[in-house]
Parts: sequence; C-alpha cells; structure tokens
Amino acid sequence: MSDLLLMTWTFLWLSLLCVGGGLGVIPEMQRQVVANHQWVTAREFVDGYTLAQLTPGPTMLVVAFVGYRVHGVLGAVLATVAMFLPTSVIVVLVAEQWQRLRAHRWAAAAERALLPIGIGLSTAGVYTLARSALHDVTTVVLALAAGLVLYHGRVPAMLVVVVGGVAGWFLT
Amino acid sequence: MSVAQVVRVFALTGILSIGGGRAAFFYEALVARRRWMRVDEFLQDFTLAQLLPGATFSNLSITLGHRLAGVAGALGGLAAVVVPGGVVLVVLAALYLTRGLTPEVTTLMRGMSASVVGLVAVTTLRMARPALASARAIAIAAATFTAVGPLKLNTPAVIVVMTAIGLWLNRPEPARPPQGGPGQ
Repeated sequence: MSDLLLMTWTFLWLSLLCVGGGLGVIPEMQRQVVANHQWVTAREFVDGYTLAQLTPGPTMLVVAFVGYRVHGVLGAVLATVAMFLPTSVIVVLVAEQWQRLRAHRWAAAAERALLPIGIGLSTAGVYTLARSALHDVTTVVLALAAGLVLYHGRVPAMLVVVVGGVAGWFLT
Repeated sequence: MSVAQVVRVFALTGILSIGGGRAAFFYEALVARRRWMRVDEFLQDFTLAQLLPGATFSNLSITLGHRLAGVAGALGGLAAVVVPGGVVLVVLAALYLTRGLTPEVTTLMRGMSASVVGLVAVTTLRMARPALASARAIAIAAATFTAVGPLKLNTPAVIVVMTAIGLWLNRPEPARPPQGGPGQ
C-alpha cells in the first residue's frame, strides 16, 4: 500500500519535470524506477518504452507499464492518473488565461528560455535510452539504420520499429 | 463544436498516431482536413503544450480541446487520447510480463528498442532545428544535456538553474521607462 502511494507520488513529481515533452524526463524516471526503487529492471524499462512507442497516444504511457509491473491494473491506473492529471489541470488553467498571458513581455522570454532546455532534456532522454538499448554492433547498426530511414523517407515510424525488431531477430 | 465531436475526432486521431512527431497527426486532422482552426491557432496551442510541464501530446489534446469546446472539450480530448492507449499498453504489458521474456521475444524487443533509439533521435533532431536558432540557445541545450545525461545530476535542480539562466539571458528590454523616471 505504502509502495503504491510512493509510486503514485513519484510519477506525479516526475510529470512536473516534463519540460519540452515527455522524453526529457526519461533520465530521471529511469533513475527513480530502476536504480532508486527497483520497480523494473533497466531492460524492462527500455522494453516498456518501446511498447509505449508501438501504442497509440502519448509515449509517457510507459508509466502504465511500470505501474502494471509493480501493482497490476490498479498500479497502471494510478500511475497514468498521476502522470497526466495534475499537469493537465495546469494546462487547462493556463489555457484559460493564455490569450492574456501571451501578450506579456515575459511570455516570449519564457518561450525562448524553455525550448532549448526542453531540447537538452530530450537529448539526454535519447542518451539514456541508447545506453540501455544499444550494447553491441547489431543494435547500434539497427538504431543508425532506423534513424536514417526515418530522417530521409516518409515511412511510418511503427513499420520501421517492427522491421527493426524482425531484422534484429535474424541478425542475432 | 460539441464535446462529443471533439472526443470522437481526438480518439480517432489518438488511435492513428503511432511513432514520433505525433503532433503532426493533430495538424492533419484539425487544420488540414477539417478546418476547425487556422494554422496560427494550431501553432499557438502547440507552443503552449510544449512550454507547460507534461507530455506534449496529451498537453496538445488539452490546448486544442480547450480552443474547440472549452474546459469540457479539454478534459474530453485528454481522455480520448490517453484511455485507449492506456488499455492497449496494459494488455501489452501483461503479455510481455507473463510470457514475454522467452528468447525469441527478447531478441525481437532488442531490435525494436534499438530502432526506437533511432526514432527518438530523429524526432529530437527535428524539434531542435527551429528551437536552437542562436548560439545562446545551443549553449543552454548543451549544458542541460550534459548535466542530466552524462553527469546524471538531479533533474529538478538542473531545470531550476537552467530556467533562471535562460530567463535572464532572454530577459525582455525594460518597458521604455519615462525619461529620467524612477527605476533606471
């Protein structure tokens, strides 16, 4: 019970750190759920993130995977509510006032200040996932190939990920 | 715009959106196809969704839902994109955890997660180009990355410090004080 509350609280404060998108909170989330609380292994976490990429909706639904792993369906529901509800309330409150706020001099400053921080955090998210997912020549080559195909072609991302999985299966 | 319409279209958009750059699916559904809003309105909502804490895709469903049908549209839009994916993910998690870790599935997941690294790298690169327009912005992004990534510093502390530095570097010009007036 106390662990369920701890998990819910952890995802709640992690949700407030999602600056510039969910990917940016991945390094801290991995530290919390893998190293600190040992709710999932590093392998399970990166696999859960991969499943969330293959699932419709926000990738931050990875918290439902972790919640389910630790406390079943109730854990998944509480993790999802903790991740999405508080930030959503903030967004609704700001959206109500945004027409007025965005004219403020500091609104443009906040935008210029926060967007690069979001990029830095997201890049750290890529780095964290890479450290868990890339551990030999095959996985590095697959990541590079997927990146190149997605960068140059208009191929659906899901197709690239699934083909990457099958390719990895044959190459191993 | 009725809340029911918002929920229906957002649920459909959410279900179709898989992979990186998911905001593009909303653009296609609301601006290009249905003309429910103008491009500048969409971009304004997208910027707000990125600036505020939270996952960009769910934040976007709120800002767009709010524009189309008020607070009820925002909450309905959020539920429409989160609930279907949440159900699918719990089913996938159950499959993965009960019978997933056979050698075959393990190798499949290894290949897929490696490809996901390529996917998130490309998505981040696409976001970075417009956002990193100045040397200042690049320095802030690089410092944030180094602190949170390789140095593994505490993320909340890094966000607070970098936000303070970023706001100071981008502080607005003082609002033209009357000549010789108080405060410079």
